Amino acid sequence: MDTFGLKIIASDGVFYEGRCKKLIIPAPDGEKGILANHENMVIAVNVGVAHMSLDGEEWKDIAVGVGFVEIVNNRVTLIVDTAEKPEDIDVRRAQEQKERAEERLRQQQSIQQYYHTQASLARAMNRLRVSQDKKWNL
Amino acid sequence: MANIREIQSRINSVKDTMKITNAMYMISSSKLTQARKKLADTEPYFYALQGEISRILRHLPELHHSYFNKRENIPAEERKIGSIVITADKGLAGAYNHNIVKLEEEILSKPGQHKLFVVGELGRHYFAKKDVDIDTNFRYTVQKPTMHRARDISAVILDQFNNHELDEVYVVYTRMENAVQSEAEVLKLLPLERGGDFGEMKMPLNMYREEIELNPSPMDVMNSIVPSYINGMIYGCLVEAYASEHNARMMAMKSATDSAQDLIKDLSILYNRARQAAITQEITEVCAGARAQQKKS
Repeated sequence: MDTFGLKIIASDGVFYEGRCKKLIIPAPDGEKGILANHENMVIAVNVGVAHMSLDGEEWKDIAVGVGFVEIVNNRVTLIVDTAEKPEDIDVRRAQEQKERAEERLRQQQSIQQYYHTQASLARAMNRLRVSQDKKWNL
Repeated sequence: MANIREIQSRINSVKDTMKITNAMYMISSSKLTQARKKLADTEPYFYALQGEISRILRHLPELHHSYFNKRENIPAEERKIGSIVITADKGLAGAYNHNIVKLEEEILSKPGQHKLFVVGELGRHYFAKKDVDIDTNFRYTVQKPTMHRARDISAVILDQFNNHELDEVYVVYTRMENAVQSEAEVLKLLPLERGGDFGEMKMPLNMYREEIELNPSPMDVMNSIVPSYINGMIYGCLVEAYASEHNARMMAMKSATDSAQDLIKDLSILYNRARQAAITQEITEVCAGARAQQKKS
């Protein structure tokens, strides 16, 4: 199976750089899969879970923030404001962030603040969703 | 010549001040290393975003978007100009704050309706005394820049820009030229300029252009890219300013410590001289007394 060059850049550093076989990203109109030799394209990315498969079999989840992915000449660059591995996510902090956002949503606020809180809530829920699969089975 | 005790107390007070400046020097230098690391981490994101917008513009020169709208129909006097001014929270950083304030004054002297978004306590105090419009809800510190803070700031700016409360937005900040030099700079944030930041294409017409499809639509892609670009830009500026602030403070404190050392050196020479003079005088007095006694007998 062919591979493509993948580079994931987050605002706090380069998250991943190397060859990859399959990549699924959360676009505004649903998830999109990218395989090798994809058509040149720029796709917007929403807050959500991206999946990447380096060897074509095992899938890895990444919690991503807003951004976009660019595919040119079999090189894929995913540029997002945040990218986190499930094991790096602090569940308690994400939970707190979610509760904080929910509380703010209940209060009266301007439309701008409302969008802001909503985005914050989306990020927190996304973090929780990704880390949920990694729960320890005690 | 000054009294010995006076010189002694002067030396002690200089020594105490030197301890403070030395401590501040060390704090700033450790913060600077942190800031530098942060800067190096963000750079790829920053440049990738910039490169991407320029690439999209190159391939789709006819793309129109509200963030590129220069609003040229508004006359210069009525343009609402917003500037984000990034100063330090504290002084004692050499000319760092001064340079920023001077640049901002230059912008204020141009025609238009100005509005300030001041980040940093010192700048806020300075401009509060002036007769300018300052966004009072805009209270952020410059310590430890985070993505979260940049997101807050860019949300405010983009919102006001989209609602036509602002027609132009500038950032006044200090950029690190290299490890030792930094320079205050004005950066135009909005509207985005074709050609300015994004190296306007000068391609021959017969050259093959790669076709890039924007999915779901060019508007959606631009709507997603531009806010993150602005966001990244503000974050980059905050980090740069933070690093330069500590660089400036480090330099100022280093030269303060150095001159304190010079001062102590001069003062201790003076002190030794005074001490020597006192001893010499005492010996002379004792000798004179002894000789007077000898003559008597």
